[in-house]
Amino acid sequence: MIFPLLITTFTTVFLAELGDKTQLATLAISGTSNKPLAVFLGSSVALVFASFLGVLAGGSIATLIPANILKMLAAFGFLIIGVKLLWPLTHGAEQVNSEH
Amino acid sequence: MDPLNSSSSSEDSNDQKRFSSVLITTFTTVFLAELGDKTQVATLLLTAQSGKPLVVFVGSSLALICSSLVGVLLGRWIATKMPAERFNYMAGILMVGIGLLLGIQSINGLILSHNAV
Repeated sequence: MIFPLLITTFTTVFLAELGDKTQLATLAISGTSNKPLAVFLGSSVALVFASFLGVLAGGSIATLIPANILKMLAAFGFLIIGVKLLWPLTHGAEQVNSEH
Repeated sequence: MDPLNSSSSSEDSNDQKRFSSVLITTFTTVFLAELGDKTQVATLLLTAQSGKPLVVFVGSSLALICSSLVGVLLGRWIATKMPAERFNYMAGILMVGIGLLLGIQSINGLILSHNAV
């Protein structure tokens, strides 16, 4: 009985995560940082830890912290990465190292 | 392989710093995004239905790790297909796009919940 359940859970979660914003974030960061191991570790630990907290909180952390606040924080996270990626391009490469 | 700071003498410490900064950036963003995510409800349903939380947790963790691996490998593969600058640009637009989308959704949610009170 264990194995079918393991396969069902694996496929359900894997398909649910395909193309999910977390995977897109991992894709973007790994492609632009050439530190794939750091990205893989950071993403895997984050996902497993978040899902562990989800199990503990009985569903989703939204019961403890309002979902909107979580989404707002996540939004800032994505925006910061996006701006950090776009900043050098909009301000020319030579300014990348200048202290401003 | 890392063109940006390969010349500096303190290469290891610099490299180590970059490694940890990338790791922390990825962790925080993915963690925050996943916390508010709905996929956890699916795992909860499976847990309730099966009464075997450990098996469900192991199954979902393996799936999450594999999906991270797919994300990392895909990112590296795409990055080899185009100049770094263009990939940075597209990745930046994608991240800002998702950020704005999440921001708008959360503001909407806050307004709706505010009116409902």
